[in-house]
Amino acid sequence: MPEPTDLLQGTLDLLILQTLAVGPMHGWGVAQRIQQVSQDVLQIGQGSLYPALHRLEYKGWIKADWGNSDNNRRAKFYSLTAVGRKQLATELESWERLSSAIALVLGRIAEAVS
Amino acid sequence: MIRELLTRFRLFFLRKKPEELDEELRFHLGQATEARIAAGIAPEEARRQALVEFGGVERTREQCHQQRPGWWLGTVRQDVRYALRGFRRNPVFTVAVIATLAVGIGATTAVFSVVDRILFRPLPYAHGDRLVSVGLGQPLERQEFTLGGFFFEWRDNQKPFQSMTYEMGYGDCNLTENQPVHLHCISVAQNFVPTMGIPLQLGRNFTAEEDLPNGPRVAMITDGLWLRRFNRSPAVVNEQISIDGHLTRIVGVLPRDFEMPRLQPTDILQPAQVDIAAQHTVNSGIGYPMWAFARLNPGITVAQAKAAMQPLYLHTQQWIPPELRKEFQLQIRSLRDRQMYDAYAAAWVLFGAVLVVLLIACANVASLFSARGAARQRELAVRSALGASRGRLVRQTLTEAFLLALAGAAAGCVFAEILLRVFIAIAPTGVPLLASARLDPRIVFFTVLVSLICAALFGIVPALEKPRAIALAARQTRSGAHARIRRLLVATQISLSVVLLSGASLLVRSFWNLEQQNLGMQTHNVITVHVPLSWERYPSGFLDFYLRTEAALRRLPGVAAVGMTDSLPPIGGQGMRYPELRVVGRTPTPAGLGGTVGVRHVTPDYFRAFQIPIVNGPGFTDAERNSKDHFMILSRELAARMFPGEDPIGKQVEVAVFNPYLAPGPISTVVGVAANVKNAGLTGDDSPELYQLATNQPDTWSLHHFFVLDSSLPVSVVAPLIRSRIAQLDPTAPVEISTMTQTVSQLADRPRFETALLGFFAFCGLLMAAIGLYGVISFVATQRTQEIGIRMALGATRLDILRLIAGEGVRLILLGGLLGLGAALATAQLIKSLLFNVPPRDPLTYAAVTLLLAVVALIATLIPARAAMKVEPVVALRYE
Repeated sequence: MPEPTDLLQGTLDLLILQTLAVGPMHGWGVAQRIQQVSQDVLQIGQGSLYPALHRLEYKGWIKADWGNSDNNRRAKFYSLTAVGRKQLATELESWERLSSAIALVLGRIAEAVS
Repeated sequence: MIRELLTRFRLFFLRKKPEELDEELRFHLGQATEARIAAGIAPEEARRQALVEFGGVERTREQCHQQRPGWWLGTVRQDVRYALRGFRRNPVFTVAVIATLAVGIGATTAVFSVVDRILFRPLPYAHGDRLVSVGLGQPLERQEFTLGGFFFEWRDNQKPFQSMTYEMGYGDCNLTENQPVHLHCISVAQNFVPTMGIPLQLGRNFTAEEDLPNGPRVAMITDGLWLRRFNRSPAVVNEQISIDGHLTRIVGVLPRDFEMPRLQPTDILQPAQVDIAAQHTVNSGIGYPMWAFARLNPGITVAQAKAAMQPLYLHTQQWIPPELRKEFQLQIRSLRDRQMYDAYAAAWVLFGAVLVVLLIACANVASLFSARGAARQRELAVRSALGASRGRLVRQTLTEAFLLALAGAAAGCVFAEILLRVFIAIAPTGVPLLASARLDPRIVFFTVLVSLICAALFGIVPALEKPRAIALAARQTRSGAHARIRRLLVATQISLSVVLLSGASLLVRSFWNLEQQNLGMQTHNVITVHVPLSWERYPSGFLDFYLRTEAALRRLPGVAAVGMTDSLPPIGGQGMRYPELRVVGRTPTPAGLGGTVGVRHVTPDYFRAFQIPIVNGPGFTDAERNSKDHFMILSRELAARMFPGEDPIGKQVEVAVFNPYLAPGPISTVVGVAANVKNAGLTGDDSPELYQLATNQPDTWSLHHFFVLDSSLPVSVVAPLIRSRIAQLDPTAPVEISTMTQTVSQLADRPRFETALLGFFAFCGLLMAAIGLYGVISFVATQRTQEIGIRMALGATRLDILRLIAGEGVRLILLGGLLGLGAALATAQLIKSLLFNVPPRDPLTYAAVTLLLAVVALIATLIPARAAMKVEPVVALRYE
């Protein structure tokens, strides 16, 4: 299982926020969805998922409500708050800036190598 | 939005229930299992795989908990609870640390507060650091003064000062209205208040016209008088009051913290109204005495100012008789130096002593913490093995150190306040400004900070060391490094307390000498009476009143003799220079040689009242008092000097006048030689003394004369009789009655104060060093219990065990003692100025200190060593 520290600092938060932007979801769902969407590249263990969820909740970016899951079991559903939505936009923007910058640098190096 | 805020708010304060997290995690695990079952894995195996993947739950739970903002506050609470529990289990350690800190902080804070007032207090003048005292210094009067003949020339030609001003000392005056009161009136220059930078509360300064000779009578009053007399009424400005019978207009009120630069008591300031032109004719042509102060120009130092004033001084030297010029020099120093010059030495010694006490206290706390740290090494190792991070362990230890330091600081503040009150209560009036010393919050803060740092530093060391696996495994905890540090600390404490003890013992011995010295007179039965009359009431002089009082006092029961004098021993009277005394028919001593001679004007009974023996000649007689001739009695020392190998009785001695210097003066007949009496205070070097007979010439009597009574009845009985007799002669006459015992005892106040303080510190230091030693030895003994058991089992006698344990202590005592003796001998010179008749390296004192230290330290060693000796071998072997 990839260690969570392999993720860039703060990236897990971004992934969780992005995943929750679709709609309310419980912790298991969040982990599954990230795994699916990333085609099994990103696997989030509970050891990093739940501290991250709690951190985001304390920051007020997501909120938690108890509800029933598909198989009718009591589960805690997380959803984005208005602040969280704004935060997501900011983080997406800065992520895009960062990744395009990295792409530029890597592209130059690739050119130079070839 | 608001709801979210509320949620955040709620989450901040409310802990999440732990069950919620558990349920969440259970759900996660369930889903993972189901997902695997759905993928076709058997339920048992699915569950096993899910559990393996899931990993440890406790860590997740802990991490989730730590996401909570401010979660660490909870651990602080936990640490505090844990620490308090630890303290309760170990009360000796707790009390020892708190007591040590309390003494250290208390003593330091109290003394710093006092010393701060003396050495560093801000003067109550605007930019007081720019103020200097300017004047002439000479052997008869070390505190500089000046004279009208010099001052005005300096003032008008000087460059280094923004302005120069003067005050003319304090004069008695009376508020002669209904309810007359005795006041202190001081004459000052017109520019005194602005030059000193004194902000008036009310009204205005004197105008230039008011300072002219025979100008209008005006006054500024102090806040104290304003309150007492006028209840702080603002209408007081322009009101007229009657001072010594003259109507005087109040023009201003001085600020509350007003004080004269020489700190003399003050009620009223009046313009000096000096006739400047007359200064070269009055008072033998040198002008009136005055005390000059000046405000330095910006950027000018005291040394530069002195250099700049030197040519002016050399020019004005012409007014000093040429024979005396060498004795005088220009003296300029900061106002603070002038105020505190004789308190400096004591202040620095106290300061040093208290720093040493603080050091000892810190060392004590350090060694206590270190001992505890060593004892707890295993506990720390266990906690570390159970998952406590190093940061957590350090935080725990720091919490304990801070708690103890805070408790110590609180106790220390209380102790400081008590100590300060004691200081003020026992302090002599000679230490200026001590009475107004308060605990300074800055100083409290500083010392608390020092002890916090000290506690933190030594508390943290054991926690910083990586708990070794061996500490867990071994039955015996290993503490080699700790033990070394602790021994070093104890040796340091012992050596520091030797330094303190030596200083204190020297002072005690010096004080003993002071108390035991022979003053050359009896003080036990002597009552002194002072009647400060006013010239207004007795325009033709006080002689008549004095003679009638003398006669009345002689009729009192139990009074054997009533003498009169213009000054009281053992303080000197007026001084004159030896060359001013000339034996008729002999070559005079050249000016500038021979030092000074003390002079007193006394009546014949002075010698009887003080029981000063007349060793040669008839002495003064009552009949001579009415004579127009002059008579004198020489002290034995003076007689031996003036008439070596001769009989001085009947010789003629001329007392030369000052202006023109050494011109012929009146001639007296020597009628006696008196035994030597101390006349330079208790500690000063005595001058030879000359007694002149106070004859019945009205102009020779001033309001400063004293009656001295040899009374066989106690003062409590005689005092009311004296008051009633004097009241019969003049009901308004103020009467001040004292005893010579009190007067002499007051002179010893200062050394008594210094001795008591240093003695107290030495006691604290010794006590703490003893506690430290005791702690270390008993710790060593406990740690070696098992070893002791084995040794005894192998045949060691109890004496061997005692030797083993006590040897440790004896080595520390020897090391610390030797170091301390060296340090004490090296620093002894520092207190030399406080000592009387004791050499700073007095061998007896050092021997006594060494003995005392050895005894106390040995007791501190032997108590735990004896306990170790008594250990039963079986118990010792089973220990732990």
